[in-house]
Parts: sequence; structure tokens; C-alpha cells
Amino acid sequence: MMSQEEKKIEEQIKDSLPYADQVDWEEVYQRVIYRYSTPHGVQHIKEELERLEDRGELIVHHIKPHNQPVEYQTINGQPKKIPTTRLWHHKSCGQCGHIPGYPTSVFWIMNKLETDYVDEPHQTSCTGWNYHASGASNPVALAGVFARNFWRSYEIDYYPLIHCGTSFGHYKEIRNMLVLHKEIREKLRPIMRKLDMDIVVPEEIVHYSEWMFVKSKEAARERKYDLSSVKAAVHTPCHVYKLVPDDTIYDPSVFQGRRPAAPTGTVINMGAKIVDYSTWWDCCGFGFRHILTEREFTRSFALFKKVIPAVEEGHADVFVTSDTGCVTTLDKSQWAGKAHGLNYNLPVLSDAQFVAMAMGADPYMIGQIHWHATNVEGFLRGIGVPVNEYKEKFNQYLQDLKEGKAESKYLYKPHRKIDYYLTLPDRVQWLKGGK
Amino acid sequence: MSQLKLPPITDDPRFLDMSYEEQGAVEEERRNLDSLPVEERKIAIDYWNEVKSDFRFNEYLRGCLNCGVCTSACPAAKFYDFGPREMIQYMMRDEADKIYEFVNKKVWACVQCYTCSMRCPFNNEIAGLIMVLREYAVKMGLKSAKEILAPYRRILYVVMTTGNQVTPNMIQPETFPDWGPQAVEEATNMDLYRKAVPVDLLQRSDIGWHASLQTAVELMTIMIESGVLDSIKNVDQDLYDMIMDIYDERSQQLREIKEKYEKGELNEDELPDSWLDL
Ligand code: SF4
Ligand code: SF4
Repeated sequence: MMSQEEKKIEEQIKDSLPYADQVDWEEVYQRVIYRYSTPHGVQHIKEELERLEDRGELIVHHIKPHNQPVEYQTINGQPKKIPTTRLWHHKSCGQCGHIPGYPTSVFWIMNKLETDYVDEPHQTSCTGWNYHASGASNPVALAGVFARNFWRSYEIDYYPLIHCGTSFGHYKEIRNMLVLHKEIREKLRPIMRKLDMDIVVPEEIVHYSEWMFVKSKEAARERKYDLSSVKAAVHTPCHVYKLVPDDTIYDPSVFQGRRPAAPTGTVINMGAKIVDYSTWWDCCGFGFRHILTEREFTRSFALFKKVIPAVEEGHADVFVTSDTGCVTTLDKSQWAGKAHGLNYNLPVLSDAQFVAMAMGADPYMIGQIHWHATNVEGFLRGIGVPVNEYKEKFNQYLQDLKEGKAESKYLYKPHRKIDYYLTLPDRVQWLKGGK
Repeated sequence: MSQLKLPPITDDPRFLDMSYEEQGAVEEERRNLDSLPVEERKIAIDYWNEVKSDFRFNEYLRGCLNCGVCTSACPAAKFYDFGPREMIQYMMRDEADKIYEFVNKKVWACVQCYTCSMRCPFNNEIAGLIMVLREYAVKMGLKSAKEILAPYRRILYVVMTTGNQVTPNMIQPETFPDWGPQAVEEATNMDLYRKAVPVDLLQRSDIGWHASLQTAVELMTIMIESGVLDSIKNVDQDLYDMIMDIYDERSQQLREIKEKYEKGELNEDELPDSWLDL
């Protein structure tokens, strides 16, 4: 029953807003906060996500206690949960293709830190590299790729951890779009039904570098080499913190919370010294299309705007970054500079490789540093890694593989042949030690 | 066009619109198209109307101070005749011809770093607007999209059929000599080096990781049903035909394998090691 007072208020509302009952207040609310909330805020998106879940418009993949989450803050002070275990690897096509030591380092660290994970062939890339390079896609397709991948992690209840910085930024944006735009959900739903799936949105979109930062103190306890004399320049990838900026973690220990926590905080926690340079905020020059078909731009930009400032201003010994395109660009753009007498050879590593090798991972078997163009070996020698011994061992392994004398070694149990064809419900059970 | 009495042309730079050769007040229809050849005017208008009707347009374009903060931080502006401020200004002024010219050349210079978007005091999603322009350029098969996508064909093919953007073996000595001698060494012994990566999914040279057949077919279904393939058809008919043929074949294979599996008749050992070799 409505009290007298409530009735009076109702009447007054009717008087002052005669169209009140014809207005979709939720829509007005969404519009107002979207336009006038904190710049780039995501709080209203998270609220709307809950509402859509209640109405059954989509499925939310929640972070559960078995994911052992920890809470950090985004730049505007909003909480962000980072799951630490029972994770589903959303690999990166560029990492797996050209920097294989990047994902293998992540797996190796997870093995070391006894993290539960699943890596499987039922994943595609986010297709964001293609989208940003060519424009040959559209919102429904991008949302479909998002929902299909996240369905696969949802059905086995392993929480998605995104390896690529572009996938991370891009998925944050797609999540916002799916939540705010009914028309996209309506176009996507029949496609998902055709695949026997539904629209799944993870509660948080989490980048592995955030996970790495959260776990870096624990990793540092297992450190094998002293990094205190290392001067590291960090490149924070644009797509990690400039795309949906309010959904990346910050921490007071990293530049007083004024720059993203990862990967700078990871490098600090591992005991290295961070050196600053004036273009820390600038892009690496990757450009999506440029790295493939217009590399004269990429090379020049990476060298002049990133590598040279890091060396000349910061006297860096190593460049650490946390994204596919940035590692590729910074590493591969230095060699051509020699033609102009610009003899820079600053080693470039992902944070994962940096951590793994500091923890004693084999630089060739795990770090796969032979895929890098810069002087990573020199850097490792400097911190005391017996590079030559490892190299000899690895070359022998290559020789044996070639002659059929050795079997490939694996970081986790290889998949069954059938898993390369069908997405079977028993796949995790089998991978986790069943028959 | 009726003859208007125009005010005299000013030489005071505060009143000049630097994007036009002709200064002074000009009626709107003429101003918005006057730099284009007659045969392109309709395309330009249709294109611009399509862009404006996209659901992202109003959300991403919120206003502009013409402050140039976006361009001052733009990596592409440092190397190309390109700047995001210019584009936003054309959009704010509804200048169909300028947008069309911009799309035909400059829009592809952007490196999608989102620095402009983060800096803009009006919170414009500038990099997102650039993507909307590119998307419609492909969708409507504009000349610039065709030119830009020509060297990019193989990559589009890989992405549409496997869901991976790049393959290890695309790094060939003749195409990537600037990556240095190490990349050449990897390229010449690619299969062996891939075998030494300690994750089974990563051991091929023709794909970043080995996705399952079902996954590839699901991805292609999404691309077809959402209209991406229709856009590709407008810029590259051959590529479209090739992808559609592959889709038919692979979905057929998948159906057969699934059926056998469901009936309990599938003998795993008889399957080829990889469906990619089929
Ligand atoms: S996203 Fe494009 S327009 Fe914006 S700053 Fe980067 S390169 Fe320039
Ligand atoms: S930063 Fe924003 S307001 Fe300033 S010129 Fe660029 S688009 Fe306009």
C-alpha cells in the first residue's frame, strides 16, 4: 500500500512532469550517465550488465571464489577484480606466431606458481588486429567472435585471461557495445543460436599483464638472478590503457598511481630499476596495417620516438612491454637503423619473458629468445644467466629433433587428436589427468 | 544554381576556412560538394549518409573545440599529411566532400593508438570514428579500400578461414629483410624451430596456434552471417569465392565427423593428424 505521503509525491511528479509515465527512464538514465559521467567511466556499464543478466538477456561469466580473485583499483578508483587461478588462456595470434616465447613464458610461470589453467584449440584470435588494420569487419562480427570465445571458457568454467593487449582493449570496447546496444544483441543472438551458444560476457575483462602484476611479488620470491643493477624502460601498450581507460588497474606503488600498474609494477617488484623517458606515453608505431605493409613508418617511429629516447634519456639496458604488437615492433625495428648509422640494439622483452627468465626459465626452450632480433643474450649474460650452456643444450635438442632422436618436450599434456576436430565436453577432464 | 550575391572575399585569416580554396560565404550544397568531380558526388553523399546513420556515430562524436590536442599527440600526423582534428572538423560541419576525400587517402594513415581519444577534452571517440569510416569504405567498396586491401589479401584469407591473423611462415627473407638476419634464420628453418616450441598447439608454421576444425567453421559462420563476407565481396570477388568454397568444404567435413562421433563410429586413429592438411 502506498502511504499518503508517497501518493502525494506521485501526484506532484505527474504535475510537474506530465509525460513521466511515457518516458523510458532507464534509457534516459543510461544516456545521461554515458555522456556526463567520469570521462570514459565504466561503472554504468557494469550496472547495466547486472540488469541485463537479471532480465536473462545475456549470460555473465562470474569470477568465483575458486578463481581466488584479488581486488585492485582503476584510474577513477573503481574496483576491478583480478582472478588468479583456474584460468582459460585467450592466446594472441601475433605472440604465438612471431614471439612464441611470450605465451610459453606465461604457461611456465603458471606451472611454477601452481596456477590452474586450460589452453585449448577451441579459441580464435579476437580478430581485432585485422579490424584495426583493414576495417574489414563489423560490430556484429566482432561481438560474435567475442561471445564465441567466451562461451568456450564459460562452458568449462575456466575464467578467460587475455594475452594480447589489443584483444584486451578491443574486448573491453565490444563488452561496452554489447551492453549498451540492444540492436547488436538482437542481431547477434540468432547467430549464436545457430552455433548452439548464447551471448556470454565475462564479469571483468582481464589482461594477463594485470595477472602478472598481481602475482609478481610471489614470482619475485622464486627469482634466481639479481636484477638490482638492471635499468629497465617500460612501454605501456596503448590498447591496454587508452582503449576504455577506466578499465585498467593502477597502483600507488607505480608512479603514485599515475601510470598503469602493469607492466611497470611487475618490473619494480622483480627488483629492477625503472628508468623514465619523455615519450613513455607514445605509441610504439605498430599501426596494425603499417607493421605489415607500411613498415617504413613503423621502423622510423619505433626507433626515433621510443628506442632512442629510452637509451639516450633513460640509459636503459632493456625495454619491457606487455603486448604483442609492441614487442614485435620495438624488437624488429632496430636492425634496419644500422643502414643510417643508428646502431641501437636495445633488448626487447615481454614482461612475461622478463619474469620467467629472472625466475630461471631456460632462455631458449621457454623464453624462445632466438626469435628476437635484438641483443637479448647480452642482457641475460649481464644478469648472470649462463647463456652459452643453455644455447649449446638447445642446439643439441634441435639437432636431435631434426634427426628424430628426441621427442618434443611440453609444458602441459598435448591434446588428443580428436580435440583438433571437435569441441568435446570431456576435454578438460581428459587434459587434467583423466584417461 | 541560382546566382547569389556573395560578400567580398576577406583576407583576414580569422575568417578564412583553410580547407577550401574558395573563401567567403558559399551556399551549403555547393560548398559541401564543390571540390568533387560530378560523378563522385552521389557516392560521397551516400557514403556520408551511411556513416552518419551508424549507431556509433552520435555516441562517438560529441563536439569539438578545434583545439588540436588530438593531432598534437598523433603518431601518424608526425609522418603523414593526416590529422584527426581535421577529420572531426569535417564531421562537425557535415562536409560530405571533404570526408570523402579524407577517406580516399588519409584515413588509412591512422595507426589506431587511441591517444587522441584519451586526450580529447570533448571525449570524442576519435579512433573509433576512424574505424567507422574505414568499415564503410570497405562495405561500399570504395577505391581506396580496394587499393589498401590489395597487399593485405593473404592476411584477410588467413583471418577469415582460421581466426588467426598471422602465420609464422609469412616472415620470408624476401618480404621481411628489414627484420634482420635472425628472422631470416628462423624463416629458413621454420618447421624445426616450431617443433621446439613446448606447446603442441604452437608447433605448425602455417598458423599461429592450431585451432580446431569446429572452431574454424564456427568463426566462418559468424563472418558470413554478420555480413563481413558481403563486404569483402565488394572489394575482392575472388577472395570471397575462395573463402566461400572453403567454408562449404569444411562445414561438410565437420558434419561428417560429428555424425560419426555421435553414432560412436569415429575411429580417431583414422583422422589425419591435422585437418589443415586435408
Ligand atoms: S588513433 Fe589514429 S588519429 Fe588518433 S592519435 Fe592515434 S594515429 Fe592519430
Ligand atoms: S582534441 Fe577533441 S576537441 Fe580538440 S580538436 Fe581534437 S576532436 Fe576537437
